Amino acid sequence: MERGRPLLRWAGILLVFAAVSLMGNEVRGDAGPVKTPEPGRSDRLTIDTLAAFQKLELPPVTFFHDKHTDALLKEKKGCETCHLVEDNQLSLTFLRKKGTKPAEIKDIYHKGCIGCHMETAAAGKASGPPDGLCRSCHDAEPKVASARLPAGLEKVLHYRHVDSKSIPAKAPAKDNCAACHHEYDQKAKKIYYAKGQESNCGYCHLAKPQAGVKSLEQAAHQQCVLCHLDLANKGVKEPVPVRCDDCHGAKAQAQTAKNNRAVAAKLKDPNVLRINRGQPNATMITYDPKFEDKPVKPLLMNPVPFDHQSHEKYSDSCKVCHHASLEACGKCHTLGGSKDGKGVTFEQAMHSKTSKHSCIGCHNLQQAAPNCAGCHRSIVTARKPDDASCRACHTAVPGITGKDVLSPAQKASMAETLLKKRTPTLTTYPVEDIPEKVVIKDLMDQYKPVEMNHRQQHVQALMKGLKDSKLAQYFHGDPGTVCQGCHHNSPPSKNPPRCANCHPQAHGQALTAVEATRPGLLAAQHGQCMNCHQVMAVKPEATACTECHKERKK
Amino acid sequence: MKRRAFLSLLGAGGAACLLGQSAQAAGPKEFPGYPGSFGVLFDATRCIGCRRCEAGCNQVNGLPAPPEPFDDLSVLDKQRRTNAKTYTIVNRYDHIPGAAGPVFRKNQCQHCLEPACASSCFVRAFTKTPQGAVTWDGSVCVGCRYCMIACPFDIPTFEYWEVTTPRIMKCTMCWPQITAGKLTVPGCVGACPVEALVYGKRADLLRIARGRFAAFPGRYLDHIYGEHEMGGTNWLYISGVPFKDIGLREDLGTASAPQYTSGALAVVPIIATAWPALLVGVYAIHRRMDKVAHEEKVQAVTQAVAKAQEEAAAKLAKAKADAEADKKAAIEREVKKALEEAAKAQTEEDK
Repeated sequence: MERGRPLLRWAGILLVFAAVSLMGNEVRGDAGPVKTPEPGRSDRLTIDTLAAFQKLELPPVTFFHDKHTDALLKEKKGCETCHLVEDNQLSLTFLRKKGTKPAEIKDIYHKGCIGCHMETAAAGKASGPPDGLCRSCHDAEPKVASARLPAGLEKVLHYRHVDSKSIPAKAPAKDNCAACHHEYDQKAKKIYYAKGQESNCGYCHLAKPQAGVKSLEQAAHQQCVLCHLDLANKGVKEPVPVRCDDCHGAKAQAQTAKNNRAVAAKLKDPNVLRINRGQPNATMITYDPKFEDKPVKPLLMNPVPFDHQSHEKYSDSCKVCHHASLEACGKCHTLGGSKDGKGVTFEQAMHSKTSKHSCIGCHNLQQAAPNCAGCHRSIVTARKPDDASCRACHTAVPGITGKDVLSPAQKASMAETLLKKRTPTLTTYPVEDIPEKVVIKDLMDQYKPVEMNHRQQHVQALMKGLKDSKLAQYFHGDPGTVCQGCHHNSPPSKNPPRCANCHPQAHGQALTAVEATRPGLLAAQHGQCMNCHQVMAVKPEATACTECHKERKK
Repeated sequence: MKRRAFLSLLGAGGAACLLGQSAQAAGPKEFPGYPGSFGVLFDATRCIGCRRCEAGCNQVNGLPAPPEPFDDLSVLDKQRRTNAKTYTIVNRYDHIPGAAGPVFRKNQCQHCLEPACASSCFVRAFTKTPQGAVTWDGSVCVGCRYCMIACPFDIPTFEYWEVTTPRIMKCTMCWPQITAGKLTVPGCVGACPVEALVYGKRADLLRIARGRFAAFPGRYLDHIYGEHEMGGTNWLYISGVPFKDIGLREDLGTASAPQYTSGALAVVPIIATAWPALLVGVYAIHRRMDKVAHEEKVQAVTQAVAKAQEEAAAKLAKAKADAEADKKAAIEREVKKALEEAAKAQTEEDK
């Protein structure tokens, strides 16, 4: 034993050494190739019903709804296998009626799920986890991600529902709006249909259930899915999505979008797509004294003629602008801001750069489209707009100022006259004034100069990309506007200054604070070209150096 | 030594140790960085992943040529890290939620305001220069590699293949070249074709970063990585995607590495000086006590021995005297007896 002791000590030391180096390896080792995530499923649900009542003992259950529906369908079993019928309506919860006590819910799930799994397995069929494998369902880190996309009813899909013969109008009504739309009677605690009051479901059905009002998710599944199931059972000829993936899957949504486009293309009168709620075709955006609860100083800006009908075309639903109700903007967004408008004033509601509901916010969002982003990505959005851009909307109307109060009819006729006068045309300088080829050679060192096809592949290509955009046509008022994508920060001109006039030639200098806001020439030129090519997805790629400038042998 | 004296000495020693710690706690905890120090701002929304910075770094630092040339972008398919032959690398991060395409991020020494490597080095081989760079001095390094363990960014690397003169290798922010006047900006910054890297005073870089946030609302996350991370770094990052998605640790907190250790380490000098003195003192007192006890014992023994000896001598003398007296008495008795017999015989003769 005496001889064995030193050996034992050495073994101990070696063990500790090995453990430390192994751990070190793990900590410092190569992270390996970048992992690509597994494809997700659109039908992934998380069952955490008990979380509302108590702290969960185990992680929530990850459940794949379509997997179960499909398996049951093979067995010729229907929804009633898992969902009870209550008041002639399929319940959306699992095997329980309204008002089931929380203590019973756990049992219902365990008996319902595991019982069925065990029975199926006993019958010799493929089945889910049996009793005892808790973590197979209560999986803290589900391997399959959720690929569920929000489903929505955009304009054409709405029209397809309105137009569908499978959803008949109930006499004496001429349309089938009542099939889905309803109002809630607070006193009688009942829903009823009110003609002319229809609006977006999301105005009342919010993201989370409110007292007595279902969440949008609950409402949509009850309204849409149950109706679809009925129609599917009747065997209607239109496609009626009932599975999760049919509405929330990427592939199905692409197919729906395709069908929508086909339907829209066939329409003789595209105006049938308009959702009629008594809105004007055109109006003047200005303050309305009837919404103002305190005396206000009249506006000094000219009212803005607004083409409501065109904007309906550009938007999928009314909610894009009318985000909380179908009221006029000024009802909540008063000049001084009101409680209903969350303090957002009329001016902010129209001009906010960060809101997607405001005029400017939404116009800015449009600039993210590839055709626009090439130039607009580099334009500092935070700076003060110039007067011309204000005047683009706030058109001067002879004899009318912001102070004047206009009647709806006056607004409509004035707006229509003003809008008619607008003839948006996309212009730039005459072809002969646009240099055909530009050679960039200021910094020639490692590479030969860049020979850039200026006229055809740049100016004309940009103009081609904008020809269908009414927004661009209207706001690119000057022939030099399109040039300003590259020749920026100086007034539009046929002869813009050279890059090097503003961007310091010297490269690799420690920058002073002033210069730092302005990149050096190398970065300025690379940034301008690469950013545009990248966001417009135009080759060559940013790292394909020799595709723009050939290597120079010294 | 009495128990009370020992305990009071112990108490005094403990109090002295505590005093050292509280003095440290009262000292400045946060170091905002050397004023006017330089740094680099990396903008992940600009980086195109061309590896020019790697090439620039390699060239100005005279590093060995890599196995794959710098224009081979297939190396980006794998996540890489810096090593003893590469001070900086660019990694590509794919499939980031919310990002339109891949995002690139350059990695190198972050040049912390209060570097963990320097705080872990017991020979002070690392220097945080007032100009920003963290540099390494090979003449004092003992090769313990504590710095490699200490660095939260896994930056210092070691030349394992060098048998006798291995060096710790890491980005120097090209400080040697810049002080020598060979360069005006670090090699990587000078090589970047899109100014994804900006070299300048750290305070200016922070302003520039905020300026970009303001100019392009929504393009960037409102955070400058390195402004506060690990007590702040001279290399700063801005990005449009979460920093954890481009390989930057978000779990580091804002305390610098020395802050975690300075409290404990501040006690070391006081322990190193006070405790030996205290313990030696206790030992000396103990020794003296033993010595005194020993001396007293020896004295007592000597005295006892002497007394016993005296007593024994007296006893002997008495016994001797008694024997002498006995002898005398016996002689006298015999003499008397003889005289009496002689007298008797005389009488009988006479008779």
